[in-house]
Amino acid sequence: MKFKIKIIGLILTAAIAQSCEKYLDINENPNAAERVDPDLLFSFATTSYINLRSSGDLYIPLALAGQSISSGGNNPTGWGLVSEQQYDISPFSLGNAWSTYYVRGGNNLKQAIQIAENSEPVNSNAAAQSKVLLALIAYETATLYGDVPFTEAWNLDISYPKFDEQKTVLEGVIALCDNALGQFDEVSPLKISGAYDMFYGGDIARWKRLAKSIKFRTLMTMVDADPDKASQIAQIINEGGMVDSPEDNFLVPYETASGKRNPKYAINLQYNGGVNFFFGSSYVVDFMEAIDDPRLPKFFTKPEAADRYVGLVPGANGNNDEHVRISTELHAADAPEVVYNYQEQLFYEAEVYARGLGVAVDLIRANELFKSAIEESCVFYGVTRADAEAFVDRLPTYSNAADLIYQIHYHHWIDKMDRGIDAFTQWRRSGPEGEEVPNLTLPVLAPQGGLFRRYEYAPNELNNNPNAPSQIIRYFEKTWFDL
Amino acid sequence: MLGILLMGSAYAQERRISGRVTSAEDGAPIAGVSVIAVGTNIATQTDELGLFSISIPVSVNELEFRFIGYISKTVTIGSNTNINVALDLDASELQEVVVTAMGIERSARSLGYSVSEIGGDELTKARETNVVNSLAGKVAGVRVTSQSGTPGGSSKIVIRGVSSISSSGQPIFVIDGLPVDNGAPQISTVSSSVPQGSAGADFGNRAGDINPDDIESVTVLKGAAATALYGARAKDGAIIITTKKGSQGRGTVTINSSARFDNMLKVPEFQNEYAQGIQGVYNIANTNGWGPKISEVQDRTFPNFLGEQVTLQAYPNNYRDFYETGGTYINNIAFQGADDRGDYRLSYTNTEQSGIVPGSKFSRNNIGINAGRKIFDGLDVRGTVNYNRSTSDGRPVQSSNNPNVLQSLVLTLPRTVDIGLVRDNYVDPITGEQITLTPSRNGNNPYWIVNNNNFGNIVDRVYGNGIVTYKPLEWLTISNNFGTDFYYEKRLGTTRNGTIGDLTGSFFQGNIQNRVINNDFIITAETRLNDDLGLKVIAGHNIYENYYERILSNAEQLTIPGLYNFSNAASVLTTNTSNKRRLVGVYGDIGLSYRDFLFLNITGRNDWSSTLPISNRSYFYPSVSSSFVFSELLETSSWFNYGKLRLSWASVGSGTEPYSLAFVYNPQSAGFAQYGYGSQFPFNGALAFSAPGTIPNANLKPQNQTTYEVGADLAFFNNRVNLDVTYYYSNTIDQIVSLSIPQSTGFSFRSVNAGSVINKGFEAMLGIVPVRVNDFNWKVDFNFSSNRQSVELPDEIASYTVQSGWSGLQVKAETGKPFQIYGVGWERDPNGNIVIDEATGLRRTIADQPLGNVFPDWMLGINNSFSYKGLNLGFLVDIRQGGVLYSNTASTLRTSGLGYETLQNRGDRFIDRGVVLRDGEYVPNDVPVQSMQDFWGQMSTSNTEGNIFDASYVKLREIVLSYQLPSKWLQSGPNFIRGASIGVEGRNLWIIKDNVPHIDPEVNFFGPTSLGEGVEFNSVPSTRTIGFNLRVQL
Repeated sequence: MKFKIKIIGLILTAAIAQSCEKYLDINENPNAAERVDPDLLFSFATTSYINLRSSGDLYIPLALAGQSISSGGNNPTGWGLVSEQQYDISPFSLGNAWSTYYVRGGNNLKQAIQIAENSEPVNSNAAAQSKVLLALIAYETATLYGDVPFTEAWNLDISYPKFDEQKTVLEGVIALCDNALGQFDEVSPLKISGAYDMFYGGDIARWKRLAKSIKFRTLMTMVDADPDKASQIAQIINEGGMVDSPEDNFLVPYETASGKRNPKYAINLQYNGGVNFFFGSSYVVDFMEAIDDPRLPKFFTKPEAADRYVGLVPGANGNNDEHVRISTELHAADAPEVVYNYQEQLFYEAEVYARGLGVAVDLIRANELFKSAIEESCVFYGVTRADAEAFVDRLPTYSNAADLIYQIHYHHWIDKMDRGIDAFTQWRRSGPEGEEVPNLTLPVLAPQGGLFRRYEYAPNELNNNPNAPSQIIRYFEKTWFDL
Repeated sequence: MLGILLMGSAYAQERRISGRVTSAEDGAPIAGVSVIAVGTNIATQTDELGLFSISIPVSVNELEFRFIGYISKTVTIGSNTNINVALDLDASELQEVVVTAMGIERSARSLGYSVSEIGGDELTKARETNVVNSLAGKVAGVRVTSQSGTPGGSSKIVIRGVSSISSSGQPIFVIDGLPVDNGAPQISTVSSSVPQGSAGADFGNRAGDINPDDIESVTVLKGAAATALYGARAKDGAIIITTKKGSQGRGTVTINSSARFDNMLKVPEFQNEYAQGIQGVYNIANTNGWGPKISEVQDRTFPNFLGEQVTLQAYPNNYRDFYETGGTYINNIAFQGADDRGDYRLSYTNTEQSGIVPGSKFSRNNIGINAGRKIFDGLDVRGTVNYNRSTSDGRPVQSSNNPNVLQSLVLTLPRTVDIGLVRDNYVDPITGEQITLTPSRNGNNPYWIVNNNNFGNIVDRVYGNGIVTYKPLEWLTISNNFGTDFYYEKRLGTTRNGTIGDLTGSFFQGNIQNRVINNDFIITAETRLNDDLGLKVIAGHNIYENYYERILSNAEQLTIPGLYNFSNAASVLTTNTSNKRRLVGVYGDIGLSYRDFLFLNITGRNDWSSTLPISNRSYFYPSVSSSFVFSELLETSSWFNYGKLRLSWASVGSGTEPYSLAFVYNPQSAGFAQYGYGSQFPFNGALAFSAPGTIPNANLKPQNQTTYEVGADLAFFNNRVNLDVTYYYSNTIDQIVSLSIPQSTGFSFRSVNAGSVINKGFEAMLGIVPVRVNDFNWKVDFNFSSNRQSVELPDEIASYTVQSGWSGLQVKAETGKPFQIYGVGWERDPNGNIVIDEATGLRRTIADQPLGNVFPDWMLGINNSFSYKGLNLGFLVDIRQGGVLYSNTASTLRTSGLGYETLQNRGDRFIDRGVVLRDGEYVPNDVPVQSMQDFWGQMSTSNTEGNIFDASYVKLREIVLSYQLPSKWLQSGPNFIRGASIGVEGRNLWIIKDNVPHIDPEVNFFGPTSLGEGVEFNSVPSTRTIGFNLRVQL
């Protein structure tokens, strides 16, 4: 019997001892990597960022609330009523935009920067490319939400980042661009290149021009609230080296293959039988119709029954036989998402000379740049070069600065008509309250209180960050740059 | 010659006696009763039907019937050849044995915690294809909700409240000592913007694979003290299933057949007066009910969806007629037998089910073998093998953001649409294109969906174990139980080219495999230390491993319609994942008994978990329980028969999910975009990785649950009144949660130990036998339970989202409160009046409002059973009080103007009740709404409060009527039939009272893997079932 008990004891002891062995050391994740190249994080940040800009969390709300497109009101194949055109913005859109800027986009770029700068040898270009994209993200976050976390954001040691003033963030955007410009190394083979740089394929010279342009655009956004920025504008204009041809257009193409299509196209296909949900805004169409703009058929699809291009007042009910819808060409499956382009650069430069921002007012130069911008816009949207030239030749040359500035702003806004957030920001910076271009009024059925001017903060951030503003800031309240 | 004479003599002196043994309490047959010929060593046992047959010498004139928990009875045979016996419960409960954790059998009186046991008969009286559903209303403290009416759909079971804010808290299922998988893995087949674990079809939970016909008994272990020996895996309770074994006596064959028919339990109430359109004007483009009044436009014709000019008429049954009568056929045959050296049982069950949704089918085949053998005295072996294969087609897609979502298409059929016309015209015979209900082709014809697109799965599963038991000494038992459970599941979802929303067609195939390996090595020593004091010591060692793997391929843009081959797709995206966890545990149990009325049990278990940091991976948890049968110390009383007090305390730890500790970069399959159309990788030739959304925590420690429980078991009036009452308190602290953090940190969550969930509750089970006269018995059982959940969060966390929904709906935890639905609510003035917008006359809304508890205040099941001779009638009423439900069906029917309630005030001036803010003061509203279409439009999906209802209900859950054919009838017929019964059964027969319009309040759209409850979102309607049962024993 004693022998049996010993045997049992031995078995039990062996079994217990086994439990402490390597049998349990299996907690290494076979589905993920502990180290990655910055390229892989950069591609994800890029894709998340452009998907946000072209989809239902940013494009649709801001194009509708910004009135550069029309919802169609109660038209059964319109976007619906009440919608974002009446400033009914889903808290999920507020949250998804925020999380793309900070988590999917911003954090992966921060990680990419850290990996690039800590690798041996240092991958300066990868860090700089990531910084420029991060600057773009920070610019959008601040212009959209106002005061936002920046100096304490993306820091594992800080649980509750403070909210920086919008001005501080925009200064930070400029600093990021300067930092990147100091890091770019055109000779180095180390960079994010090929397919992983969906914008420029690793062409560092173009990245440097873009970085300067982003800095320039940021200054142009700040200059009305901070006139001291005019001198920096003059400096950068005089230095040059910014985006200087359509080759530099900063965009990402979508693909025709299912699952890789532009969300603008996919949403119409998925939910509306391929019919475009959105109508042309009367603010856009009527302006273009009046000048017989050759971009009209590129931007819009005219009903067969209609003999001219008729826009729809934002929020009003669309008529299928009367009002134009956004064209299938503009919302094609492989239509690119444009973040910055050459004509935009020209519009800003025209504005600099028309307003004399740090430089002497030069209306001749401004008119030239203005017409070049429109011509480049026409060509960009598919008008032939000859037709584009003929069109701009027909346009008047403005001798009155105010008229020219108005036209620059309006055409700048028209050019960005289908770039929701960019049109929205351009409109807000086009003049002080009540003098913006165009002179928008409340959309049909929109609540009283004022025009749409910002995203309200994401509920997640408000709930979880004690440093978030305690007072609710409503969508009609202006941010710092928006006078 | 002598031999022949002796044999002849023996033959002449024997006779065969047969009969049936039932419980005097409720008339139910008792299996396993020992039938002994008094004065001899001849004996047999009753079978599942309580039947016995025994050959005895003519000299024997008495039979003794013995069964644990019942008073033995001796019957004089006389000249009878058929003897029916009703046994009375033994009020002293001296011998009743209950299967507890690790399969340990204990006398009921020794247990210091509440245990509920359900006999296998209870589960097969009115058969459910999913065994989880059979538990509804039968056990106090156990709450069951079905995700949908999908055949083979899933059901969620919650025992004594949800104790976690990060996992759904499903109990462990243990079959013959083997913990088996009860997963309901969700694979994302549509947008990630849809709530995780919710989108798409309901593919069922794996406990649904278990064959109810093989179940001998189910023990529900509710508290931590009861489950302590299972450790972390049973922190949410344990369902202990013991399967049937062959019983001694002549081998038998049992055939059990059921045929059942299903229809919709609750049909939405539609208006039938208005056609489709806008603000009273007909428009074929709107699938709604806001058009003209049908009776007022009889002088005109309008285009229908086929373009024909027709006079409008209502088709009141077009919704109901879309659905069909479902059918279920369950056939089981079991062979079993045993002798004194071994036993066997072989069982085969076929289940064929067709759902109420056209084309939905479910089929399951179970085969099980359970055999044991005594190798030599002291050494026993037993093996079980169960194989099942289930297949299904036509599982309806629920939720939103998928073109195949069916319910919303059927619900929004305008009242003027003839469903027969839709059925016969869903495809153009010439072009093969879909015929849609609107000219703008912005919605699918429901018959296109059910006839072309198919979501189904196939599951092959094997589980079983081998048990060796060695008893070297009278007081010592050594046993080892090794088992495995593995399944392979293939899911296929197809969408044909031409489907609106997916014109180029697509399909996905998901391959899932899961494997559980478990080994328990147990040594048991039992002895009496002296005449008064007994000791039982158990020491055990456990190894547990779970491996899960999933490969999912999504194929899009199909070249040839209807061909679901990856080579036929322009784009195929494949993702895979796997995880493995291991657990090693040692445990011990010391039981002391004093004079069989005072008992003390102390258990301890130490686990080592692979998922926790090495420094924290070892954790120990103890339990103590005691029972005191105080009635043993009292004088015998005519009215008070039995009294026991029980008390227990336990502390249970648990680990976390695999791979939660390290900071890793995850490969990405797609970039997110709202409405489900992000970009798949490789995108523009690039792959992608992302930093984690959750900051991992390398220092996680086990979360810990402390529970205590006090209770009493009482019996009165000769055992005709039984009362079990229990109060429990559990506090699960150091919850391992992904805490929501400001996303400006770059992360959405941080993995921490934080917060606690307290559940305290009261359970009472009252059994009364109001009438027991001769052969007639009436018994009533009440199962009452009330659980109060309360969450404690760290000060800096205002609330914690346990389940995200859409359009602002969330299920959230908040300090001092149970889980609540949050969402967009009506703005109210300080007096609680709804604030109306002066400009529109419509209600003003405010986001993120608490809108009610998702869990009930209390549940009550009332089961009546009557028996008279072989006739048994039982019905179960199930009551839920409290909690709220969000109904998307109500939202759809109201906003679309199709619900009956939208008839109110149409065309009239209507001023909503509420206040308007005027000159800084709230004054009664005097602003009319512009139209009732606008008024009901407020109840859209994005308005949560407008669609919140009280989820209370009273339901007639089950009716069973069965008749056991008298033995003498059978003896006069074919003599190979030993017993037979016929029955009529009904499930979910009648919602006696509820407060939710249009739908069954019991539907829970969030499945078993989700913490969410209280939401219905395009769910397949639940069903009422009526069926017939025939059971024959050969």
